[in-house]
Amino acid sequence: MIALEGVRVTYRRTVALHGIDLLLLPGVTGLFGPNGSGKSTLLRVLAGLLRPGGGTVTWDGVPLNISDEAFRSRVGYAGHGSGLYDRLSVRENLRLFGALHGVGDARVEEMLELVGLQDRGGWPAGELSAGLRRRAAVARALLHEPQLLLLDEPYANLDDDGAGKVSDAIKAWRTPDRTGLVATHGAKRVKGYADAAIILQHGRIVSYRVRTPAEAPT
Amino acid sequence: MSAVSAPGGRGWAGKTLLLARKDLVIEVRGRDTLPPMLVFSLAVTLLLAFTLPDTSRPSTRIVLPAGTASVADVLAGFIWVTVLFAGLVGFARSFEVERHEGAIDALLLVPLDRSGLYLAKAMTNLAFIVAVELFLFPVFAVLFPIGLGAGVVAIVLLVDVGFVAIGTLFAALAAQTRSRELMLPVLAFPVLVPVFISAVELTSDLFLGRPTRAVVSAGWFGILLAFDLIYVVVGALTFEFVIE
Repeated sequence: MIALEGVRVTYRRTVALHGIDLLLLPGVTGLFGPNGSGKSTLLRVLAGLLRPGGGTVTWDGVPLNISDEAFRSRVGYAGHGSGLYDRLSVRENLRLFGALHGVGDARVEEMLELVGLQDRGGWPAGELSAGLRRRAAVARALLHEPQLLLLDEPYANLDDDGAGKVSDAIKAWRTPDRTGLVATHGAKRVKGYADAAIILQHGRIVSYRVRTPAEAPT
Repeated sequence: MSAVSAPGGRGWAGKTLLLARKDLVIEVRGRDTLPPMLVFSLAVTLLLAFTLPDTSRPSTRIVLPAGTASVADVLAGFIWVTVLFAGLVGFARSFEVERHEGAIDALLLVPLDRSGLYLAKAMTNLAFIVAVELFLFPVFAVLFPIGLGAGVVAIVLLVDVGFVAIGTLFAALAAQTRSRELMLPVLAFPVLVPVFISAVELTSDLFLGRPTRAVVSAGWFGILLAFDLIYVVVGALTFEFVIE
């Protein structure tokens, strides 16, 4: 369970997050809100990539700390950028990050197939379309089967087929003890599998709704 | 087998080598860093070839506004200034590959001690600077009457260690600023002064034909070793705070 208490982030004079209090339960939570509402900032705080100016973030009662290697091995994050090296092929990128996370090549092939990139694995990442790069980025984030998955606009630039593949990959990753937060503008995309939904506006949570057992996704 | 996942070890050393290898593979495919460094070095060297007197021996003394100096001092100064600037051209680019597409975020989240990230980048920068020197020193030896013995090679490698250690650290710091190409020299120059003064003093002595043993026993060698050690330790320990 991840708990945020009074998390505040400011960029110079702009307040991105206004003292966020949040209890993130296991399951997949959709994170919605207009541009500039603080979705990406919240994801970066949870990934440990951004230190909040105030407040605390704990994971199972332990303060979140990116310096802790154990924490890093349990987090999967895909931000706005793909996090891939343009000059390396998609397969080389995934094998690199797989090796750094202690994951073998078989899992790389499994992920390529899951996101529908098995035929494009030899392509340089820099030559992929924006949509295919998003799929590769999601594959990279899911590669080591993290306990906490943070995806920032995973459906950006994706057609229906690509979006379906990303959703399938997220569903395949999901287990009862794992926590995922998926920031997106496309509520329809995550509706099929999200267990909860958060709406952010101007750096504040204006709605946090958890699905009842009767509404639970299949 | 993938070009970047070959090393078998997956401990700290294996992952560090994997990252260094990744940078080298990217450079071989993209040629973004080394060619500008080499072109810069060649341009400066050719300019100097027309500046210094013809066929002057290293022991020849030339008149400068502040007095006289041996050609060996001037050559040593020129060669290290060229290495310094060529190195900074390359170092400034070394974190570009990580910034592009946000690869640095993915890298910061891998379970590898930050010293591994630092060492991998330092090893790549060392490879680049050694490549520049492998080109630069022979060209200097052709254009100017200097000898390149084992002593020069040893001093050059020791200078490289200190240069790369601090250059990589400040390149990581400068990469987080908007005017990174400008920031790197501003940050690194003052700190690199002891290493490059030692380099000039030691190599000019070697160019003059002094025995390596005598040069090594001079104070400058100790200073160079001490700063190398300090810079490597400081670089490895502080990289975590710089990169995060």
